[in-house]
Amino acid sequence: MYTLERTQDPDIGHLKAQDFENLEKIATPDDHTVVITLKEAAPTFNFIFTDYNMAILSSDYDYASKGESAPMGTGPFKLEKLVPKESALLVKNSDYWAEGLPKADELRIYFVPDIDSSVSLLEAGEVDIVPQISPIIKKRLESMDGFKVVSPYQESRFIALADDREPFSDNRVRLAFKYSMDPEILAKACQGTLGETIFYNETPIVNALAQYKKIPFRGRDIDKAKELLAEAGYPDGLSVDFFYASDHPYGSDIAQTLKELAAPAGIELNLKGFPRDIYLSQHWMDGPMLLTGWGVRVDPSMLLMLAYHSEGPWNESHIDNPRIDELIEKIRGEVDPEVRQTYYDELQQIFHEEGTVINLQVPYLVGVSDAVTDYRQPLTMLPQLEYTTIK
Amino acid sequence: MDFLKRFAKRLGFTLLTILAMSILIFFLVEIMPGDVAQTVLGQSATEESVAALRDRMGLDDPMHERYIRWAGGFIRGDLGESLYMRGVQINTIFWRKVGHSVVLALTALLFYVPLSILFGVFAGVKEGKAPDAIISFVGLATMALPEFVSGIILITVFAVGLEILPIASIIPIGENLWQNLDILVLPALSITFVMFGYVSRMQRSSMVSVMKADYIRAAILKGMPRKYVIFRHALKNALLPTITIIGMNMGWLFGGLIVVETLFGFPGLGSLTMSAIKTRDIPLIEACVLFITFIFVFSTFITDMLYAFLNPRIRYKRGDV
Repeated sequence: MYTLERTQDPDIGHLKAQDFENLEKIATPDDHTVVITLKEAAPTFNFIFTDYNMAILSSDYDYASKGESAPMGTGPFKLEKLVPKESALLVKNSDYWAEGLPKADELRIYFVPDIDSSVSLLEAGEVDIVPQISPIIKKRLESMDGFKVVSPYQESRFIALADDREPFSDNRVRLAFKYSMDPEILAKACQGTLGETIFYNETPIVNALAQYKKIPFRGRDIDKAKELLAEAGYPDGLSVDFFYASDHPYGSDIAQTLKELAAPAGIELNLKGFPRDIYLSQHWMDGPMLLTGWGVRVDPSMLLMLAYHSEGPWNESHIDNPRIDELIEKIRGEVDPEVRQTYYDELQQIFHEEGTVINLQVPYLVGVSDAVTDYRQPLTMLPQLEYTTIK
Repeated sequence: MDFLKRFAKRLGFTLLTILAMSILIFFLVEIMPGDVAQTVLGQSATEESVAALRDRMGLDDPMHERYIRWAGGFIRGDLGESLYMRGVQINTIFWRKVGHSVVLALTALLFYVPLSILFGVFAGVKEGKAPDAIISFVGLATMALPEFVSGIILITVFAVGLEILPIASIIPIGENLWQNLDILVLPALSITFVMFGYVSRMQRSSMVSVMKADYIRAAILKGMPRKYVIFRHALKNALLPTITIIGMNMGWLFGGLIVVETLFGFPGLGSLTMSAIKTRDIPLIEACVLFITFIFVFSTFITDMLYAFLNPRIRYKRGDV
């Protein structure tokens, strides 16, 4: 109950506040049951609990003052020892609800500030799992004996074109930019193959989800792009600042490729690459063109509400389209899955025609030693290390 | 008496420098873009919750009051609470890392000081001959190599190739640095690579100049053994500029090893500073930078005093200090 109630606490400013405004009442008839009554029908309400911001917290825990220093929860492991900024020892939670899990008795986590040092530790056999490696490191590990690279899910790189400022406030400029794109080349820049490891579309819905509507690629057409730019008042082309996290996997490769692809159409991208923390704290949500890493949500309406509703807290492209807002709200309330899909289809068509995003989907890469079996990390993005065994 | 006067004046100047630097650090961090309360609560926080946190953290108080509160905390030994790891007192992280960095710095000193002085003296007394040329070349080459390059070479040779030293300097959970002294070797060698060039070249040129002095020539002409002249007469005077160089680099050695510590994953002050900057953990950045400044200023002060103590011309000089 506390976990749900705190979403509505104005002092916390909870990210999922909007999603849980629909709560009418919560009751706990016994120790193992929570009954949630909603104000309005919300068929995909249960998916909201898979969001990584929805960890179950105890009301006994003073989160405001203790923060992450003494975590308590319902997970498969318990924190045994924490040396901040250095290491953590997690041990098996013998009271874990799922019988036979976790498989590993303990997890030793090292906080290493540099990804190359982390990979060196993997290569030296000091550690067994290194998450979020780059495609270049993937190639290196795959060429060595004793290691493999797993890709548990695809994550998105959203190229956001700001709807509320020049030049992308004009849909003709957005279309011109889209006509200058070549998904095959972008896939190669990400060291992958289009349609196999890399996916491209112009809507926020990723190809892997059932709600995805297949819309053919528009095709690279530089003449059409130039024509659209001229119509929009840019006959001599234009120049725009493009902000991205240069140290995030795929960041610099995508940015450089976009620059090369857009140049023949007369769109000059001024690359503004920053370390990820600086990008997120200073430039994200506030630039005419952004490249941001997004995790996939199990139910796309969660992401749509967060980033493509005009009142979404992470509406990075500042899109403000009443029909899109209406469709997102309908999707969230529609009980019939077939009707819901028609809303998704219309929404994706609108995005394709006048949307503010290019959605490049890249594999999330984890380097592991051969000793590791059953590494799982579903679309919720949270590793399920309770299933993992390390010989 | 002159020495004491010099000591008091320099100490006063040192304290004044630290005060000025603390003001500068505080205000530089204050004018960094972004709002601390917003950073703590995240992008989605409402204006009311940001305002409430600003009030709780005292961020709306006048700047001079906040500075006095912050500096007062430092003097009392209270470094505040981390922003990135809510609920974690900086003291609980900071001094452990400082301890690690001190041990690394001392190890590096142990490696490069005798080595550089010995080779510098040898090159100096063999001026213009093959040993001098070889030592000078090696010194220049190692000095020109950035730490991340020399570090990678060392890792490739000793950790990957020969497999005799650990590839990264992590301390296994439940153990401490003393149980893992081998993790110090590669970072200390990487520092030695950088410092060997500076110190040995300084020692060499100082030795060359001293060996040409009249009193050394007189000692040699008197028939005193060459080794005795070098180590008892020449070295004593030739060491002064070397001590200055070593002292001037103490600040860097004890707090500025950001590249080396990050490369090897060594859990010291340098990597802590890097991590604090990356996570925009402002109280931790302030603590790290002020402490590094403190080390720089005090090491300069100690070097200055040591130089004055060892050099009678300064020790007994009257008037201007």
